[in-house]
Parts: sequence; C-alpha cells; structure tokens
Amino acid sequence: MRQNRRTGSRFLIGLVFLFLYAPIALLIIFSFNEGDSSAVWRGFSLHWYQSMLHNRLIVESVYMTLLVSLLATLISTLAGTFAAIGLYSLPRRRRDALLTVNNIPMMNADIVTGVSLCLFFVAFFQLWGGFARWFNGVQSAVVLPTRLTLGLGTLLLAHIAFNIPYVILNVAPKLRQMDRNLMDAAQDLGCTWMQAFWKVMLPEIKPGIISGALIAFTMSIDDFVISYFTAGSSTSTLAMTIYGMTKRRVTPEINAVSTLLFLTVLVLLVIVNVGEIRQERRKNAPAARKEPIGERLRRFFATRTGRYVQWGLVAAAAVCFVVTVSFLTTETQSIPVVNVCSWGEYIDADLIDQFEAETGIRVNYQTAESNETMYSLLKSGGADYDVIVPSDYMIAQLIEEDMLSELNYDNIPNFALIDPRFRNLSYDPENKYTVPYTWSTLGIIYNPTMVDGPVTSWGALYDERNAGKVLLINNSRDAIGEALMYLGYSVNTTDESEIRAAYRVLDEASRRGVFQGKVMDEVFQTMEGGNAAIASYYAGDYLSMLENNEDLRYVIPEEGANWFVDAMCVLKDAPHMEEAEAWINFIASTEANLANMDYIRYASPNSEALEQYPAYYEELYGEEMPPELYDIMVTPPDVLARCEMYENTPPDTRALYNRLWIQLGI
Amino acid sequence: MNRKLSLLALPYAVWLFLLVVIPILIMAVYAFTTSESVATLENFTDMGIYASVFVRSFRLAAVATLICLLIGYPAAYFMAGEGPGFQRVALALIMLPMWMNFLLRTYSWMSILENNGLLNQLFQKIGLFSLLNSVTGQEIQAFQMLRTPGAVTLGMVYNYLPFMILPIYSVILKLDRNLLEAARDLGADSVQVFLRVILPLSLPGVLSGVTMVFVPSVSTFAISRLLGGGTQMMLGDLIEQQFLGGAYNPHLGAAISMVMMIIVVLCMALMNHFGEGEEQAVML
Repeated sequence: MRQNRRTGSRFLIGLVFLFLYAPIALLIIFSFNEGDSSAVWRGFSLHWYQSMLHNRLIVESVYMTLLVSLLATLISTLAGTFAAIGLYSLPRRRRDALLTVNNIPMMNADIVTGVSLCLFFVAFFQLWGGFARWFNGVQSAVVLPTRLTLGLGTLLLAHIAFNIPYVILNVAPKLRQMDRNLMDAAQDLGCTWMQAFWKVMLPEIKPGIISGALIAFTMSIDDFVISYFTAGSSTSTLAMTIYGMTKRRVTPEINAVSTLLFLTVLVLLVIVNVGEIRQERRKNAPAARKEPIGERLRRFFATRTGRYVQWGLVAAAAVCFVVTVSFLTTETQSIPVVNVCSWGEYIDADLIDQFEAETGIRVNYQTAESNETMYSLLKSGGADYDVIVPSDYMIAQLIEEDMLSELNYDNIPNFALIDPRFRNLSYDPENKYTVPYTWSTLGIIYNPTMVDGPVTSWGALYDERNAGKVLLINNSRDAIGEALMYLGYSVNTTDESEIRAAYRVLDEASRRGVFQGKVMDEVFQTMEGGNAAIASYYAGDYLSMLENNEDLRYVIPEEGANWFVDAMCVLKDAPHMEEAEAWINFIASTEANLANMDYIRYASPNSEALEQYPAYYEELYGEEMPPELYDIMVTPPDVLARCEMYENTPPDTRALYNRLWIQLGI
Repeated sequence: MNRKLSLLALPYAVWLFLLVVIPILIMAVYAFTTSESVATLENFTDMGIYASVFVRSFRLAAVATLICLLIGYPAAYFMAGEGPGFQRVALALIMLPMWMNFLLRTYSWMSILENNGLLNQLFQKIGLFSLLNSVTGQEIQAFQMLRTPGAVTLGMVYNYLPFMILPIYSVILKLDRNLLEAARDLGADSVQVFLRVILPLSLPGVLSGVTMVFVPSVSTFAISRLLGGGTQMMLGDLIEQQFLGGAYNPHLGAAISMVMMIIVVLCMALMNHFGEGEEQAVML
C-alpha cells in the first residue's frame, strides 16, 4: 500500500518533469538538426554550433545579456545588502513604509514596471535635452550631449531596479536572525566598525547575500518584458533577439546557444551537488534537508572542489570586467557607425560585411515588424536610428510630422540609377527625403491543395468556406486596405462610412471564425508548413516561401491590389548623417541591388539592376528564371495599372484605423 | 551605531523614489492626459470597449493559476515527502528550465501544437483521425490547437508552474513534523491530517504561489502572441500595442496599465487578507 503510494507520487512528479522538459529536449535535439526546420529531422549535424559563432546578432546579444546580468547582479547585490542593513536599523514604522515601496516592483506585473520605467526615462531625456541645450548655450568649456536614447545604460538601471528587492528579500531574514548584540560586543572588544562588519556581520548574512545574488542573476538572464521596454532599439538581449526571431523563424543557431548555456548550468549544478554529497559522506552528517541553498553553497565553497570553482568564478568575473571595460572604451572611441532599421530578412547580409570592409563604417542593423511598430518605436523615444526604410504612406506621415531630414543627393550619386518611374512619387513629390529601396505588390498567397478552385478575389480571405484556414495580415493599413479593395473602395478613402464598412467585413469574418490568426512574418512558417491555406502578403516574400513549398500560388485579385515602394530615409537630427548617406549610396548601387533582388526577391528600383537581373539569375543558377515568377517579382505595367499605392491619410483617419484595428482584436 | 547604519537606507530611499515612485506617477500623468497634454478622463471612459480583453485575461489567468495549483500542490507535497537526495535533484530540475529562455521554450510548443506539428503527426500515425472520421463521418485532418485559448493557457501553465511548486514546497518542508504526529496521536486519519493540519498551514505558500503565477499570466503578451497567434488578445498585448506595437497611443496604454495594476493589487490584497501574507516570495 505504502509502496504503491510512493510509486503513484513519483509517477506524478515524473509527469511534471516530462511536461517541463519535453519542449526543452525538443529544442536540444533540433540544435543538432542538419536542416533548419524545428519540426522535420534531416539528420545529425554540428554545423549550427559552428555557424552561431559567426552570427553577429546572436554573439552580440549573448554578450549583452551576460554583461547586463553580471553587472546588474553585482551592483544590486552590493546596493541591496547595504540597503537591507540600513533598513534594519531604521525604526519599525519607517522601515515598513520603505519595505512596502520596495515590494512594488515585485508585486507589479513586469509590463507595468517596464512601461513606467520607459516613460520615466523618456521624460528624463526630454528634461535633460532642455537642460543640455541651455547649458551648452551659457558656456563652451563642456559640451553636453543633447540627445539621449534608451540603451545599455537604461537597460542596466532597469535590471538593477528590479533586482535589488530580491536581494533585500533574501538578506533581510538573515539580519533578523542575527543577534544584534554581536556587533556591539565586537566593537566593545576593540574592533572598528568596519572590522566588526567584515568579521561578524558579513559571515552571518553571507548565505542570504549569495542566494540573493543567485536569484538576481537568474531573474536578469530570464527577463524579457522589462528589457523589451527599456533597452531601446540598438541594444538587444538574447531574449529580445529570440522574440524578434520567433516572428519569422528561430534559427537553430539560437537552439545551439541556448543548449550550451543550459548545459553549462547543468554541469555547474551537478558539480555543486556531487561535491556536497561527497562532503556529507565524509562527515557522515545527517541529511541537510532543511538547509537553504545559500547555506549549502557556502559549505560547498569550503570544499576543495568548491575552492576551485570559487577561483574559477573569480577569474570569470575578472575576465568579464576586463572585457566590459575594453568594450566600453572601444564603444566610446569614435569608430564611425551607422544605425539602420529595416524589416526582418530584408537585406542580403553579405552587403553589410562588404560595406564595412569598404568604408570602415560599422553598421548596426536592426529590424522592425511593420510600419506602425516602427512609428511607435520612433515616437516612444526608444529608437536611435539614422537610416530607416519605411513604406510610402508612412514616409509621407513622417515628412508631415517633420521627422525626416533632407538628403544631400550630391553624396548619393547612385540616385541617378533609380528608374524615373520610382522618383517623385506621391509620398515625396519633390524627392528631397528618400531613395527607393524596393517595390512590390500585396496580393493573395494560397495553397491550392487546401482550397477548392483557384482564388481570384479578396473575398476568399473572408469566405466562410475557408473558415479556420485564413491568415489575416497583422497591420491595420494592409488589413483594412484589403477589405476596402474587396468592397470596391479606394484604399485611400477618408470616408468614415467606407472604412467602417471595411471593418465590418473583417469583424464578421472574424466572428465566424474565418481567421486562424493574425500574422506578419509568422506567415512564412505557417504557409510553408501547410498549416494555413490562404494569406495575404508581399510578392517578394511569396517567392521566398515558394523555395520551401512549391505548392503555393500568388495572385493579384481581380479587384486590384496595392503596390508599394519602401524607401531609405534619414531621421531628423540623425547623429551619423555622413555615414547614413554613404550607406544609402552603397545600397543604391547596381551590384547591391542585384544581390538584394536575388536574396530578398523584391524588385529593385534601380533601372540597371532591373535590366540585368534575368542574366544575373541565369549566370548564378545555370537556368533561365521562369517568366511567371519574374512577372510576380517585377510586376508588369498592365498589372501595376490595376494596383493602387497607399497615400498618407489625415490624422483623424489614422486615429480611426487605430481604433478599429484594436477593436478587431478584442 | 544604529543611527550611523540607518544612513545606509537613505540612498536606497532616494533610489526607490526615483525609480519606483516617480515612474508610476509619470504613468498616472500620461493616463490622465491626451497627446496634446490636456487633462482628460477620456482614456478611462473609453475603456469600456476593452471589457472583453479584461475578461479574457482574467479568465485565462485564473484558469492557468487553478491548473498550476492542481498540479503543483500535489507535486510539491509528494516532493517534500521524498528522501533528501531525491529532493535535491528534483529542486534543481524545477529551477533548471529557467535557464533556457522562456520565449524559446514557448516557441518549442508551437512546433508541437501546429496543424502539421508533432502532436498532430502523432495522432495521424496512431490512426486517431481515421478512427474519428469513420465514427463521426467528418473529415478532420488535424486538430486546431495552436492559436486557441487552450494553447495560451497551456503556455502559462508551462511557464509558471515552477513558481507555484517552489513556494508550496518550501512551506510544506518547514512544517513541524511533530504537529502531524500529534494530530495522528489524537486520532486523526491521514485525510484529516492533510485537510485540517497540512493544508491550512501550507496556505501561505499557496497564496504566494498563486500571486507568482497569476500576475505574470494576466499581463503576458509574449505567450499570447506566440501561442494565440494574435487571436487571443490579452491585457499585455493591448498595452504593448499602445507603446511599441501597431497602434501608438501611450496615454491609453498608461491608463490600461493603471487599471490593471489597481485590479491586480486589489485581488492580491483581498487574498492576503484571508491568508497571513507576511512574507511574499518564499522562493528558496
């Protein structure tokens, strides 16, 4: 009976572990996958472990994560310990008041902490900007930077802010247990206060400090939400990088990195536990079931293995410190830099290396999800971009809000190669701000094996017969625009009743369960894997999907479609104007356009590249590009004539779009 | 000596004021103004249309918390009854997943739950669909599991279960064994011992576990985004949309954050009123 119960309870615990570890096992297994899928096994390989070292985004974000976690742990452990000592010598009432405030970050949802810190930093930056301008005006000895942005500094502050409470929480009980007379006794016996602190107090509260530091470190490493709101655009922790990737496809390189981190911790845990067990056996001591982890660690560090580990940790900390210092100093040295923001997988990454090698300018390449999210990032003060690549209507809006700076086209001679068709378009009629990057269409992608008959109309997206098989595009302009086109209205209408009618089409389809989900770059995986039948997305991306799933078809619906231009522009007051123009000129060259066209499959606005691409393709792949695919990539004029470009709409209409868009989601 | 030491608390008090109190005040200012910095209550009065998001968030988070409790309590209870070696390993194994990023672990569930994912493939292999289809006469090829409320709940349970197990475990572990013996001596059977001694005494652990699961669940946006596929908008998504997402309006976002914060604090205060919630997080 008793035996049975034990088996039963172990079975339950086993199930819990199976639940916790099944996804982890899967991640580890697929880090050894030959292919890049996370569901299809293509044979064993270690190549992801090799290539992760060359993935700059991953290497930098792992480094940033470790740097921020270690620094935040170090600082918050020190500060938290002293704060706890201070708190415990306060009168009870004042101490309780402070402890209540101290508990706020722990009680609050992470998102509230993140958002409030973000608003705080931005408000501070504005105040600072005013002060610095005034200060630089009244004297000229010291020049203060006027423009501060979210970044490593704010990220670190945020991490320290949420770590300190955990340290205090762990140190406080030890202080409470400690006999207060001990300190007095030590001082009576001739110790100075410092000596008493080192010799009496510290050993007493050390376990609390150690476990506080461990928790702080774990919290820092695992944090995503607070970092997401406070790191800004140019600093990315591993969690943020992974979040960006989950939208499209997580490269198995991330699995590899995570597996390594995971195994390191596992090995450390095993060493700690084995050392401890050995020591227990030697002492033949009774089992330490009630001991807190801190206490166990302290004893472990007293063993011989423990001392090695301790020295190892000290050495590691020293290395980190040196690396940090050297990193910070090289950062401040003036290596020319340009910060670029574009869409995910929207450039042939070799071009970045090439540009860096040619010019010595370092490119920080970041991505945003959609025009709307990029706009939010710019507005919330989190972005420190120089070059951005928004679409037509967003460019018009940014110009209207005076957020772009005029370009000096003398520095961008390759602008001459831009086909006249793509100059002076409605979003930038005098072409003062932009250099086109790509152009393409928004149409319907479908999987003929999963729907009846060919798809010809936007109506297929809202058809109840396709219930559960449709992916709605996850940005307001495209989603509402499609419904407008379906109803036969202009995508640029400002008529509220027409926009509301389009909203009702979406709302009704949504209520009847037509949409399986709302996606941006998640569409790649979902359509390639045959998990949904119909989606609307961009022609260039369709061609990329086709490489992984030959069944897919692309169609410009009979009602017409949207065609768009994405163009490079420079933000107002960009700190690296010269480098930005050098980058734009490089990207506008024919060679770069050919490479990009081949890699991202969007049509180029460069007339030479457009002309040379078929030959380029043939040379590269040894065969002619199928004409029907070329027509999808480079939309022929007669089809383009049926397509409408988005224009900037008045603020009222934009507000209506935002409101309806949120309403659709709820 | 005490006066000298209490000076140490001063910098921290300043720090708390700067990085905890002021940010929340700024958030409040945003919540009560418009983008033209005019004072308004509009952000709050407009919130009615989001009632369904509030309801969904609190419902899914409550369900996830309940499931965590139903799994976590017995698991913690049984763990505490095992030998020290077993406990040590189990404890380490519960903490360990936190070292693999939670987004990545959640992402892994996507490949399990997709229509062509591992679970549906498994069902296909064992002939579940052909069996079902022959019985019901339908043509099911896959269960739609991803992008459902169930998937989001699963994600929450998966991510936050350790936060339920750990505090309950550490409270049960600290129970005075003599109490249990005394209860038995006084004639209680094992069910009574559990219901009348162990359960009430472990309540603080339960409360702290519930807090640690409920608060992150109700405010998540990454889990609902990944596993809900944009169809299961939660409060976190709503807030994120207003700040860094597709509908920039930090004033409304701040107002929603405020309301959420207040509701959560009220819930927790109410709960702690019933238990003696002196020590909040008893993680280790």
